[in-house]
Amino acid sequence: MSAAVATRPALGRDIRALLGELMKLEHITGGLVVAPDGLVIAADLPREIEAEPLSALAATLGRELELRGPKLRRGTFPMAQFASVGGTAFLGSTPVGFIVLLGEPQADNETVRTALRAAVGTVYRAWAR
Amino acid sequence: MGFRRIWHLLRGGRRRPTSAQMLRRAQRLRDDGRFEDAAELVAEALIRVPGSVVGHLLAGSLHMTLRETEQARTSFERVLALEPTHPRALLGLARIALEEGQHGACRDLLARALARYPDFPEARALLDVARGLAASPDARPPATAGADSARAVAPIAPRITAPIESEAAPAVAAAPAAAAPPQSAAPADRLRLPSESREALFMRPDATLLFAEPRGPRTEAVAARAVKLARIATAVLARAGFGPLRHAVIEGAAETTYLRADDAALLTLAFDRDVTAATAVAHLERVWGRCRSELA
Repeated sequence: MSAAVATRPALGRDIRALLGELMKLEHITGGLVVAPDGLVIAADLPREIEAEPLSALAATLGRELELRGPKLRRGTFPMAQFASVGGTAFLGSTPVGFIVLLGEPQADNETVRTALRAAVGTVYRAWAR
Repeated sequence: MGFRRIWHLLRGGRRRPTSAQMLRRAQRLRDDGRFEDAAELVAEALIRVPGSVVGHLLAGSLHMTLRETEQARTSFERVLALEPTHPRALLGLARIALEEGQHGACRDLLARALARYPDFPEARALLDVARGLAASPDARPPATAGADSARAVAPIAPRITAPIESEAAPAVAAAPAAAAPPQSAAPADRLRLPSESREALFMRPDATLLFAEPRGPRTEAVAARAVKLARIATAVLARAGFGPLRHAVIEGAAETTYLRADDAALLTLAFDRDVTAATAVAHLERVWGRCRSELA
């Protein structure tokens, strides 16, 4: 999956398709793409999760990372992951907004991070044209 | 009239779109991710109808998406000048206030939005985060962080008492005495920080700093940022149906920060990008264990 995401720049323009590809990763239960103002661009979430408040918070988290990062340095961050006992939220920054993936505790963090990094790169390449 | 229509048809021309049509088209362009095109169309529509609430709101949203915060603020303020309790404009300004560390202003704006429109899940979610940040000083400028660091650093765990030797020590020593932050007190050797670590911060959930290596004039501000980040991340995890934040990995351009947290403390270690995740996590867990036993 990640190879497909990485090698098709046109896919980077089709955010919904890109999210669909990422959703095929094992133990990923939900995902969304959210603009920096909190607007949902695409979402594929379990029914019990409300998209709007999650997207508002995810955009806030993404902007916080973009603006300062943990070291107060201005600039983009490629990827971040936040884990609790019940699961992990992965966040990738792109020019369009933030890609968020929700994973079960069994999700392979390295695999998800690699795929998300590739997806972020694809979006960057597509939007740089 | 009939002649004009015939003339128009003969020329094959099309009627000039109305501003409402332009804004609808701009909205579609935004939904397709064509933000610059959408912004141009909105600007054009606003020249025709400067008093358009929808136009200014869309402009604010597009400026936020294009990371143009000042222009976004202006657009949202224009909406409020036309409609003082517009919930989306209030939310937009609240988001900007939160980004800028103006937590009190953020809460006020969200409260106004919810007073107008109580069923507003985005505003409610952000208000929960902003309330959690109530103890943080609003928009504390990093340069002056040292001035109030006595309050921020004072309560150190009993066993964490020895002064640290910091890479930042010369900079701290060169600063005016009044602005110099007091030494945080955990001994780096006892915590056995890994040599690959570029920065280590250990703090309480209220941003009270317990240990920092190296330590500089902006250390408290960095700690406050880490705590704010952890709180927002915890809110995201809660909305996703997961528990509170326990681990984080944040990839930066030059380094990766690893975070470990529980209800009583938060530790961050920053490593160069070439340090593998497995190595960094192993170091993090070791240092975390020692930090927690120092606190116990």
